[in-house]
Amino acid sequence: MNAPHRAAAAAPLPFYQPLADECEVFEAAWHQQLPLLIKGPTGCGKTRFVAHMAARLGLPLFTVSCHDDLSAADLVGRHLIAAGNTQWCDGPLTRAVRAGGICYLDEVVEARKDTTVVLHPLTDDRRILPIERTGEQLAAPASFMLVVSYNPGYQHVLKTLKPSTRQRFVALAFDFPPPAVELTVLREEGGADEALARRLVALAAQLRRLGGYHLDEAVSTRLLVYAAKLIASGMAARTACRVALVEPLSDEPDTLAALMAVVDTQFGA
Amino acid sequence: MEDLVGSWWDRLVRRAAYPGYPQAAVLLDDVAPQALLFFRAMGGDPGLAIRSAVGTAHGARRRWLARVAGIDTHVELAWRDGQALYLPERIDLYPDAALNRGLYFWLMALAAQPPAQGDWLQSNSEGTARCLATMPGLATLYQRLVAALLPLRNWPANGTGQAAEQAIRHALLQPGTATALPAGSPPPQPVPLWLHPSPPSAAAANQDDGQQPEQGHGDSRDSKARRRYRARRDNPDDRKNGMLLQFRAESIFTWDDYVRVNRHQDEDEPDDGAAAEDMDRLTVSRDGKTRASRLKFDLDLPAAAYDDTPLGDGLLLPEWDYRRERLVADHCRLQPMLPRDASPAPLPDKLQAAARRLRRQFQALSPERSRKSGEASGPDLDLDRIIRFLAEQRSGVAVAEPPLYQAWPPAGRSMACLLLADLSLSTESWLGEAGQVIHVIRDSLLLFAEALAACGDAFGLYGFSSLRRSEVRYLLLKDFGEPYDDAARGRILAIRPGYYTRMGAAIRQSTTILLQQPAQRRLLLIVSDGKPNDLDHYEGRYGVEDTRQAVLEARRAGLIPFCVTVDREAGDYLPHLFGKRGYSVVHDAHRLPQVLTSLYASLTA
Repeated sequence: MNAPHRAAAAAPLPFYQPLADECEVFEAAWHQQLPLLIKGPTGCGKTRFVAHMAARLGLPLFTVSCHDDLSAADLVGRHLIAAGNTQWCDGPLTRAVRAGGICYLDEVVEARKDTTVVLHPLTDDRRILPIERTGEQLAAPASFMLVVSYNPGYQHVLKTLKPSTRQRFVALAFDFPPPAVELTVLREEGGADEALARRLVALAAQLRRLGGYHLDEAVSTRLLVYAAKLIASGMAARTACRVALVEPLSDEPDTLAALMAVVDTQFGA
Repeated sequence: MEDLVGSWWDRLVRRAAYPGYPQAAVLLDDVAPQALLFFRAMGGDPGLAIRSAVGTAHGARRRWLARVAGIDTHVELAWRDGQALYLPERIDLYPDAALNRGLYFWLMALAAQPPAQGDWLQSNSEGTARCLATMPGLATLYQRLVAALLPLRNWPANGTGQAAEQAIRHALLQPGTATALPAGSPPPQPVPLWLHPSPPSAAAANQDDGQQPEQGHGDSRDSKARRRYRARRDNPDDRKNGMLLQFRAESIFTWDDYVRVNRHQDEDEPDDGAAAEDMDRLTVSRDGKTRASRLKFDLDLPAAAYDDTPLGDGLLLPEWDYRRERLVADHCRLQPMLPRDASPAPLPDKLQAAARRLRRQFQALSPERSRKSGEASGPDLDLDRIIRFLAEQRSGVAVAEPPLYQAWPPAGRSMACLLLADLSLSTESWLGEAGQVIHVIRDSLLLFAEALAACGDAFGLYGFSSLRRSEVRYLLLKDFGEPYDDAARGRILAIRPGYYTRMGAAIRQSTTILLQQPAQRRLLLIVSDGKPNDLDHYEGRYGVEDTRQAVLEARRAGLIPFCVTVDREAGDYLPHLFGKRGYSVVHDAHRLPQVLTSLYASLTA
């Protein structure tokens, strides 16, 4: 329990605007040595939240972006061959356990099924990481925490978190921030002035009404920040909205034209 | 000669007097593809459809030339009711096409606002003010629209007319500050920037006295004829019951006198549309009997010569009775069949381009993995090779480092998919330009099969319809065992709609077939256009519960059931049947082929 104040003064905290009590929940979970599951749509601040909390608690953060080729060996580690000998090389999860830091598995459902095998003993009261290939068994220190995230919006029948895995985590649901909070985010993170931030937030509200009907997923806070940054750097507002908000959302010409018409209600010539 | 000169004069004066700018006209069809999305983004009710409005007589004073030409009596205004958003079929108000197009978007934004208090002038002014306050970009467009509109408006001759015009102009220029129209003024000139002063069917909306007619499945949803006529809703007038009416020479009925008659037939005559076009007003009244309820007659079975070819005697399948909460064994007979008149046929030309694109896409689908040794990198060491390599190195044979790892590179993917299509009579209904539902389903099946054949997954295609429990017709279109060739395409091309939707039995049979496939993952994809129903008690709760049981059985057996539907009301019952993430509603039915294949890719990739 010496970690929280160790590195607090060293680097500025990554900006994060709390929506509710998620920071307190995170801290409480960390103190109680419970793993945390964060679910929410893409670009709503999950990764930033974890980075912020790691910095706040002064813990090293090991982030793994999961993909469909990610295997247990990628997390735990593997043997490499060097100078006629094999040499063991820790994976990010093992390093996090050894260092007593936070291991953050982003989009954990994307990872291959065998990864759950190494996660299970770490997420119950045993808190151990058996390394099958070396025969080693690591006990996680008190400051180690496992955080995983996934996006429940993706409709994918073959890729969901198994109940047996889900039920090992304390879960936090994230969503796009309410307009007032998003306004602050755009000003702090995107460098937008008050008027611009207001327009972007109004535009986001309009575009988010389309989620599920015409767009697979609604426009994210991250894209809004991109647009704000581009506009703040001097790009014409309409162009910035086109490249940062409209084009990333769809490929269909009709949808794009309609989205531009929506943009024009805020940034029309 | 007189006729000829007359028609010349008519054409000339009409052209001269026409108030709009036809060369700059923008049609609703041009903006329609973007309209729904825009309207929803503005906060409009997502359930509304977009229809074209019909002209309303505005009664205002016209320009001299227009009066001579006898035109400009009607104006097309936008409005919104519980069913749809009505927009003018064409806008040619401004000489600039960009402004005409802008007017469409302005009207949609205005119509998306919640209705405001006050009369026509005040509510429009209020709505405008709300739009402008939240959307600065739209405000600049609005200012240009107003600036261009004012010169186009007449200045009335008499005093009260001028006062009204003054109030309207004030409201246009300073929205949100409007006062009520001066009393006793003549009908003001229509304001094309505002919503309809008295929407044609607003009054009728609250006449619903709870007897909501059951939605007929044969609903004619032809968007070609989606023009809205000036409808007047009347209460049925029993005094004029057509059966008792005697012909009296002195009362000559015109087209639009409402007479209650029992029509001999329900089919639409080809020139009904033209007749409706001629009428000033269409009367719609609520009759106790809806067409759907009358359609509930048993349909006679077609003669054997015309029917699909049955295969064998049929299979007995159980059915779930939710009241007794148990499966009733051998309750319905499922009859596997082959479509009649199916001859081998190639893919229709119009689908070739789409099929080629899909084949390319699906060939790239990444398959499942299996362990392979001798890789340059990988999660595990290949011990045999390392020992050999080290031994060779020690013995002095200089060897470059060979691949020494084990990995799981792509191999054949183990996936089987059974697609079950609803071929009940309801698929005969029309979807506007996209044609009938059955055509959309047919095209979807063809393209889906092309895509799956390209990615190499095992798949089967089946269709079903039913006629009571004694005959659940299970149409074999493409079996798992056979290749997808012209014979299978011919069978798909020969599908026809018929009968009802006893979904449970069809799902059970599909489950049995799919379970025989030696694949790791088995997807049961159901394409449907409505609720399960059949002639007997298989409707409402019973049908839904039986289908739900069948889906649960399939899931318990390790299959992945998923439903794709074009029924917009599916959100009411599909979550119950397939679970919240187990279905997808295709709002735009003619996109079903694309949606189905992309769904398959995303479900299984």
